[in-house]
Amino acid sequence: MTGKKLAVIAAIILSGMCVLPLGLGIYPQHVLIVSLFYVMMASSWNLLAGYTGQVSFGHAAMAGIGAYTSGILAVKAGLHPWIGVCIGTAIAALLGFGLGALCLKMGGIYLSLTTLAFSQILHIVIVNEYNVTRGTMGLQVPGLMDEYSKITYYYIMLAAAVLILAILYRMIHSNLGLNFRAVQNDEAAAKSVGVRVLRVRVLAFTVASAMAGFAGGLYGHYLLLITPEIPSLDLQFKVLAMTVIGGMGSFLGPILGAFALNILEEYIRVYGEYHVLVFGLVALVVARFAPNGLTGLWRKFRPVRTQPAVKQI
Amino acid sequence: MFAISIMNGLVMGVIYALAALGVSLVVGIMNVVNFAHGELYILAGYFSYLFASALGVNFVLAMVIAVGLVFVLGLLIEYLLIRPTYGNDMYSLILTFILSIVLQNAYLLIFGPYPNKPPLWVSGATDVFDLFLYGNQRLAALAAGATVIAVIFVIIKKTWFGRIIRATSQDRDMAELNGVDTTRLNMLSFGLGCALAAAAGVILAPVFPVTPTAGVPVALTAFVVVVLGGMGSMWGCVVGGLTLGLVENLGAAFISTGYKNVFGFIILILVLLVRPAGLFGRAKI
Amino acid sequence: MALLEGRNVSKSFGGVQALSQVDFTVERGTIVGLIGPNGAGKTTLFNAVAGAFKPTSGRIVFDEADITGLPANAVCRLGMARTFQVTRPFGAMTCLENVMVAAINRHPQKPRAFIESMAREKLSFVGLAEMEGFEARHLNVIQKKRLEMARALATEPKLLMLDEVLGGLNTQEISQAVEFIRSLRDQLGLTVLWIEHVMGAIMQAAERVIVLDQGQVLMAGTPAEVVNDPRVIQAYLGE
Repeated sequence: MTGKKLAVIAAIILSGMCVLPLGLGIYPQHVLIVSLFYVMMASSWNLLAGYTGQVSFGHAAMAGIGAYTSGILAVKAGLHPWIGVCIGTAIAALLGFGLGALCLKMGGIYLSLTTLAFSQILHIVIVNEYNVTRGTMGLQVPGLMDEYSKITYYYIMLAAAVLILAILYRMIHSNLGLNFRAVQNDEAAAKSVGVRVLRVRVLAFTVASAMAGFAGGLYGHYLLLITPEIPSLDLQFKVLAMTVIGGMGSFLGPILGAFALNILEEYIRVYGEYHVLVFGLVALVVARFAPNGLTGLWRKFRPVRTQPAVKQI
Repeated sequence: MFAISIMNGLVMGVIYALAALGVSLVVGIMNVVNFAHGELYILAGYFSYLFASALGVNFVLAMVIAVGLVFVLGLLIEYLLIRPTYGNDMYSLILTFILSIVLQNAYLLIFGPYPNKPPLWVSGATDVFDLFLYGNQRLAALAAGATVIAVIFVIIKKTWFGRIIRATSQDRDMAELNGVDTTRLNMLSFGLGCALAAAAGVILAPVFPVTPTAGVPVALTAFVVVVLGGMGSMWGCVVGGLTLGLVENLGAAFISTGYKNVFGFIILILVLLVRPAGLFGRAKI
Repeated sequence: MALLEGRNVSKSFGGVQALSQVDFTVERGTIVGLIGPNGAGKTTLFNAVAGAFKPTSGRIVFDEADITGLPANAVCRLGMARTFQVTRPFGAMTCLENVMVAAINRHPQKPRAFIESMAREKLSFVGLAEMEGFEARHLNVIQKKRLEMARALATEPKLLMLDEVLGGLNTQEISQAVEFIRSLRDQLGLTVLWIEHVMGAIMQAAERVIVLDQGQVLMAGTPAEVVNDPRVIQAYLGE
C-alpha cells in the first residue's frame, strides 16, 4: 500500500468519522467518545508493549495523573481545564520519563512489576487523600467549554485522537520507529549495530505516558467526574485486551481493538455486566492462539511476497 | 496494640511466605511469573467453603480436596496456556494477567460479590504470654502455615524430587542433559506452585473473607516478597514474607491503615533500585 | 599501531575464570584467526571486546582509544561490528529493514532515500537483493548469516568480528565464504578478527592466528607456525 493510497483511505475514514455522530443519539455518541479515549490509550500503550517490548501496567495510572492533575488544578486553583490538561500531560511525561529511567536496567518481568507497583501506589494515594481527590466519591470538575455539548466533545476527542495517531505514525515510520522495532525484536543484536537501546526505551516511555496523560485529562473533563477508576487495573486491563486482540505491534490493531471492544461492551451490557469476562475470554483465546491479534491473522493470509520492503502499516 | 500488630504481622508473614514460595518455585524452574497466583489462592478458599460449609464435609477433608483441585487446575493451566509460551516471558505474563482477570470475573459470576467463609477450625481466643487475647483461629493459621513451610523445606532440601527441582532451577540445560524430563517437571512445578497458593488460601480463608478480588493483594504481595527475598531463594521467601507482614501491620497500626499496602510496593521499588538480587538472591551475571 | 589490542584481559563469572591475562593484537588490514578448543574462551573474548560485558580486569584499546567497558552500541559507533555465532536477525522485520537499522545508526541525519539505497547496496553485496521484502525469520540459515554480514557491513566498520560464520556450510559454500571474507580485506580494506572451527578456512585466509586454551593465550603466529606447534596439537587432542 503506497503512501498516497493510505492518505486517501485515511481521509475517507476521517470524513466518515466527522459525519458519523450527526445521525446518532446521545448515548451512541457517548460510546464513540469513550472509544476514542481508548483508541488513544491503546495506541500509546502499543508503543510501549508492541513496539519496544515493555509491558507496562502503569499506563492507566498515567491517564489518572493527567485527569487528576487537571481536575485538581481546576477545582483548587481555578485553572482553566485546557491549561490543566496541558500541565497534566507534562507531568505524565515527566513521570513517564522517571519511570522509564527507573526501569532501564530491569528485565521484562521486573519492569512490569515496577510499573504495577507504581500504579498501585498511585491508586492508594488517590483513594486515601480524600481532601484533595475526594477519594472513591470522585472529583467533580468543570468541562472543557462553558456549555456542555456532546457533539463538541466528540469533535474534540476525535481531533485529539487524530493528533495522537499522527504523532505515533510519524514516529513509527521514522528512524526512531526502526530502532524501536529492532529493540523489540532482539535487544542485544540492536545494541551490536549501534542502537541506543536505553535512550529508545526511555523515549518510548516518556512519549507514551504523555499521550496517556493527555487522553486522561480530556476524558476526565468530558466525564465531569474523575474517579479512581481511571488509574485502575481494570482500565489497564481493558487497554491491554484491546491491544492484544487488535494486534500488538501493528498500527491499526489497537484502533480496531478499541472500537470493537467498546461497541461489543454495549451489546453485552444488555445481558448484564459480563463484558469484562467476555473480553477476558476472547483476549485469552486470541493471546494463546493468535498472539498477533486480529491484524496478525489478516497478515498471515497475505502472501509473503506482496509485502513492501518497508512496513507501511 | 503493638503486640497484636506483631502477631498479625507474623500470621500474615507466614501466609505471604507460603504464597511467595509458590511463586518462587515457578519462577525458578520456568522463569514464569504467574499473575493469576492470587486467583488460585482464593479459589482454594472458595472450594473449602463450598465443601465444608455448603456440603457439610469435614473441614480438614474439605481443605485437602480444595488444595488437590487447585493442584490439578494448575497442571491444566500449564499444559494449555503456559507451555506454548516457554522462552517468552512477556507472553506468559500477559496470558496469566488476562487469566487473572477472567478468573476474578468468573468468581463474581459464580459465587457472587458477597464474602464467603468456611467454618473456623477452632474458636475462642488464647491468652498470649498473659499480655493480650489473640484469636485461636489465627494462632492455628500461624501454626499450620509454619508447618507447611517446614514440610516444603524438607521436601526441597532432603528428597530426591527436591534435588531435581534445585538442579533444574539452577541450570536447566544441565538438568536436561542429565535426563530430567523438564517438560513434565514444568507441569508438576506449576501445579505445585498453585497448590502452595491453595494451601495459603485454605489456611487463611476462615480468617479473612473470601471475595472475588481478595486474591489480588495476596499475589502482588507474593511478588514483592519474591523480589525482596531474592528470586530462587526459599529462605528469602520466608524472611521476606515475615518482614513484609510485620512492616505492613506495624505500618497500618502506627502510620496509617489506608496506606497499608503501599509499604510493600515502596519496598519493591527500593529493592529493584538498590539491590535487584534481593536479600538472598543470586546476583545476575 | 595495531587496530585492536587487548592487554591483560581477564574475565570471571562467579567462580569460573573464563579469561586470564589475555594479551593480543590485531594489525590493520589483516585477517586474524582466533582458534581454540571448545570452552577456550573465544566468544567470551569477543563479548568482552565488543562490549557485551565488562572485563573483570585488563584494557582493550581500539584505534588508539581505550574502549574497556564501553557498551556494545558505543563500540559499534567507534567502528567495530560483530556477527553472532547463532544468528540474531530482527525476525519480524524485512531484510531491507534489518540492514536499514544499522545504516540509520551510522548516518542518523541522512534522508530515508539514502539509507534505503545504502541498505540495498549491502544486501546485493552479500547476494540477498531479491530477499529485501522478506521478513528475516523466513530465511534459511545461510541467508541469515549473509543478512547478518550485510547488517554488520552497513555500520561501516573498521574492524569486523566474525563468530564461527562457517558453521553448517558445505565445502562449496565454505570456499565462497572464504573468498568473500578475503575480498572484504582486499577490496574494502577491512580488518577481520575471526573465530572459527573450520581450520582449513582459517589457515587459508588468515595472516595471523591466535590460539586460546582454557582462557589463556597459548600462542600467536602464522598459520604454519600454529599448525605445527606441539602445544596447539596437544590442546586440541586433549579435548
